[in-house]
Amino acid sequence: MTLYLVRRLAVLIASAAVAAVAVFAFMALLPGDPAEIALGVNATPEAVAELRRQFGTDRPPVAQFLDWSGGLLQGDFGTSYVTSAPIGPQISDRLGVTAVLVLGGMVVALVLAVPLGTFAAVHHRDPLGAVVSAASQVGIAIPAFLAGILLVFVFAVRAQALPSGGYVPFADDPGEWLRGLLLPWLSLGLVQGAVLTRYVRSAVLDVMREDYLRTARAKGRGRTGALWRHGLRNASVPVVTVLGLQLATLLIGAVVVERVFVIPGLGDLLLNGVAGRDLLLVQGVVMVLVAAVLLINFVVDVAYRVLDPRLR
Amino acid sequence: MRGRANAGLLVGGTLVGLVVLAALVSFFWTPHDPTFVDAARKLREPGGGYPLGADKFGRDTFSQLMVGARTTLYVGVVAVGIAALVGTPLGVVAGMTPRGWLSELIMRVNDLVFAFPALLLAVMLGAVYGPGTLTAMIAIGVATVPAFARVARAATLQVMVTDYILAARAAGRRRPGIAVRHVLPNIGSVLIVQASVSFAIAILAEAALSFLGFGTRPPVPSWGRMLQESQELLFSTPRLALWPGLAIALAVLGFNLLGDGLRDFLDPKLRRIRAER
Amino acid sequence: MRRIGIWLAAGGLLLAAAACGGSADGGAGGGAGGSSKAQSLAVGFVAEPANLDFTSTEGAAIPQALLVNVYEGLVKLGQDGRIVPLLAEKWDVSADRRTYTFTLRENVKFTGGAPFTADDVVFSLDRVRTDWKLKIKSQLDVIDTVTKKDDSTAVVTLKRPSNGFLYSMATRLGAMFSRTGVADLANKPVGTGPYALSSWRRGDSIQLDANPSYWGTKPPLSSITLKYFKDATAMNNALLTGGIDVISSVQAPESLQQFADPGRFQTVEGTTNGEVVLSMNNGRPPFDDKKVRQAVRHAIDHKALLDTAWAGRGQLIGSMVPPTDPWYEDRTGDYPYDPAKAKELLGGKTYTVKMRVPNLPYAVNSAQVVKSQLAQVGITAEIEPLEFPARWLDQVFTKGDYDLSIINHVEPRDLGIFADGSYYFGYDNLEFGKLLAAADEGTEQQQADDLKQAAKLLSDDAAADWLFLFPNLIVAKKGVTGLPENAIAESFDFTALAKQQ
Repeated sequence: MTLYLVRRLAVLIASAAVAAVAVFAFMALLPGDPAEIALGVNATPEAVAELRRQFGTDRPPVAQFLDWSGGLLQGDFGTSYVTSAPIGPQISDRLGVTAVLVLGGMVVALVLAVPLGTFAAVHHRDPLGAVVSAASQVGIAIPAFLAGILLVFVFAVRAQALPSGGYVPFADDPGEWLRGLLLPWLSLGLVQGAVLTRYVRSAVLDVMREDYLRTARAKGRGRTGALWRHGLRNASVPVVTVLGLQLATLLIGAVVVERVFVIPGLGDLLLNGVAGRDLLLVQGVVMVLVAAVLLINFVVDVAYRVLDPRLR
Repeated sequence: MRGRANAGLLVGGTLVGLVVLAALVSFFWTPHDPTFVDAARKLREPGGGYPLGADKFGRDTFSQLMVGARTTLYVGVVAVGIAALVGTPLGVVAGMTPRGWLSELIMRVNDLVFAFPALLLAVMLGAVYGPGTLTAMIAIGVATVPAFARVARAATLQVMVTDYILAARAAGRRRPGIAVRHVLPNIGSVLIVQASVSFAIAILAEAALSFLGFGTRPPVPSWGRMLQESQELLFSTPRLALWPGLAIALAVLGFNLLGDGLRDFLDPKLRRIRAER
Repeated sequence: MRRIGIWLAAGGLLLAAAACGGSADGGAGGGAGGSSKAQSLAVGFVAEPANLDFTSTEGAAIPQALLVNVYEGLVKLGQDGRIVPLLAEKWDVSADRRTYTFTLRENVKFTGGAPFTADDVVFSLDRVRTDWKLKIKSQLDVIDTVTKKDDSTAVVTLKRPSNGFLYSMATRLGAMFSRTGVADLANKPVGTGPYALSSWRRGDSIQLDANPSYWGTKPPLSSITLKYFKDATAMNNALLTGGIDVISSVQAPESLQQFADPGRFQTVEGTTNGEVVLSMNNGRPPFDDKKVRQAVRHAIDHKALLDTAWAGRGQLIGSMVPPTDPWYEDRTGDYPYDPAKAKELLGGKTYTVKMRVPNLPYAVNSAQVVKSQLAQVGITAEIEPLEFPARWLDQVFTKGDYDLSIINHVEPRDLGIFADGSYYFGYDNLEFGKLLAAADEGTEQQQADDLKQAAKLLSDDAAADWLFLFPNLIVAKKGVTGLPENAIAESFDFTALAKQQ
């Protein structure tokens, strides 16, 4: 296990390093010189050259990369060329918002998917199980932003029960914070929950076919009881994997929900950076997103080992 | 079980067939020019040659949906094509040399690419080359490569321990020969299932990108953009959102059902390899 | 049983949360209600500033939020388009119209506490020349000297008589800065206005609080929140659900009927300085040919375009002058819709051109209509939406790599941009430049005559096509007062904004 951890950690670090190079190289392709953009259309060549020196963009790319990646290691993302504000705090603010959004959405998804998926598996021969199955198929087919738009329409605009959007920091007003997040959580959670339900169902189905479960039932335990005692741990292995995958894609995938609900998250920051040609900001956000996915994968792989005794 | 799988296959196949049919017919005929703007027909109610009415530009919704099906398929085919053409060989190679450094490298790079989801790639590519259908297709395609590689690898691992492969190896066949003659035909069904599921995801991704303004450019009709454009009229003319929304949902549902149905139908032996989302 | 428990808990949470806020009047900056002293309003805007320094960053978002509200000039632009006193009580113009003597208001203080004196006038106007980084600063190149006569008198001498000078002083160029308040313009504005920056949540909102030491009439509100929305529908929903009180500029005019209930909402419709221009690249084929440009103007049915692209809101114009300027003439009849005439002008030729537009609702909507109408006369326009601002500015505005574009030129009195041959229109007509120069130096009457002639020349030359005048479309909750009918200044003037109980 320790050896595995060390190896997996080495892979994580190497991947992050390669990703940093890739992101930096990609950003170098972006058209437009930050200094020229910052100074606008009427700038003199001297002023541009001066600003380039200030930004440090007149140096060779390798030096710029080392500078940037060196800063990253110390948590310094540099200062935006466009807004002249430090980037690190912006990213951490936004990451916090997105994390709350995504984690809440996943909780909703789990709360929906575990009982529904188990139910659909246990009753996979009944019409009721088929209904749950079919419903989850339909849920998967609905784009998250459409779900969001419809939820706003019903709960905010028509019922006037919840705000249509906006984000109130927890510290300002916990009640409003919660009210503002309910619909975004639901929009993410319903769609992701539908996906997850399918996986829970088939994982539970697989477990139900295993010998030890049959044995347990033969020993007189009820179906649900046997499943509860013996099956859940095994069924959780593939579900945890899928959960990790979903979490990883949702960090950026949540951007559509952030748009619908006007939530200042990380994806929103990325789109702003792209629109405003804030290269260093885009670079930083992309790096954080990629690193987060790599980290999640790492955790999932390790969890996999812990959960599945056969892999130990 | 068997019966239900076939029902899914039937429903999925029908839905996908409808989308393909609409797209094919749209090449030769649509009721009206789907991009022609006509102030006189603005928000025209359904009926009289306009079965689903017209949008705020006076464009026929039905014609737009038909051509939108073409855009949807186009994005799906190219994206899934990229993913399959790149991902499958990588997965097969990794599966045939499970303990080699090459396999390890492929899977590590795979994990790395996985860290760039379609939306992120599309936004990055859009920033460099400008948003559009092409950048969206490439982004979705590249982001789907890891899914294909993983599934192809898992299937190859299974196939490699079967008797006929062992026989072929014993007979001294070279690896590329085995890959083409024995492995690929045997993992084909898994790949088709994966393609179907990936297709569904590609449709959703294109819709999301169009919603964010990183997808198909106007005036080319796209379901995602139709949905986005209909938002401001959600109150007064909800049908403008209803039709593209329904089209997306039914197409995604169709491809998902088709994928599930095919898995049960084509090769029950390989059922354990689940398509990756 | 356990699972059902989870369900009930989740459902209960939803209900509880819905209930606890259902009765309160709005949360995020909505009306605080209660005593009239602690009133606040939330106003929805489209474009968030990248920073708060309008001396070095282009764009309308910063002056829209800060000018008149936080920063004040010696003069300001009234709702009728006339220039009225602000920090200057009055001003005298010498007989040769080259010396302006401003008498400053007493007891004016910057938010930091420093008094406002003639030294600050000298400092601010000198700073335009030395520190400002914007192209428009050249408007004040006409200034020769700025001197302090005494603490409350400042004298500006011009190199030549200029009608544009006093007008420019009413724009951001005339904003008065404190000598001790320019250290961090990007984040900490220091002005003399009725409001002062309280907080800025990037990506979300800016809050302005009433300035307790304001020299003039105290503003009726204690605070104003400027909330930024990238999505028009999200902004509409916020007003519908009480998240904001005012939509400063409607971006989805088709949706206006949602706000038709006069018991809940009011709509203000007026004019702006924003000419939505279909720019044609005069510098390269095919639009270097006047006939082709004229064909485009004849090919476009402007009435139909306005109806489809912007729900008929706005006004048709035929040249670069909005109706609120004194030298406005109706030029909409110059190029009546006439596809046959357009085809004749094209001489049977067909063209394929690049239409690169910013990815803004009015531009993308208009582009689709223009494409359809041009197709009728044999011009195929390929639409390419570019992200605004960066990509559009880079490709179209700076590099001039386009054939057609559509942009709302919001700058006030911006006829002059056509006189600059290096501007992205690529329009080069010496006579036009001469008319503009003469207008600036001449008397008011001469100015009006010359500018009328200049606008006619532009229209005749088909230097561009003018699709429509962007409307000032504001929707607000019932009871909000002091909304500006016409948006003819750079700022969204909050000074009169109030809420009736």
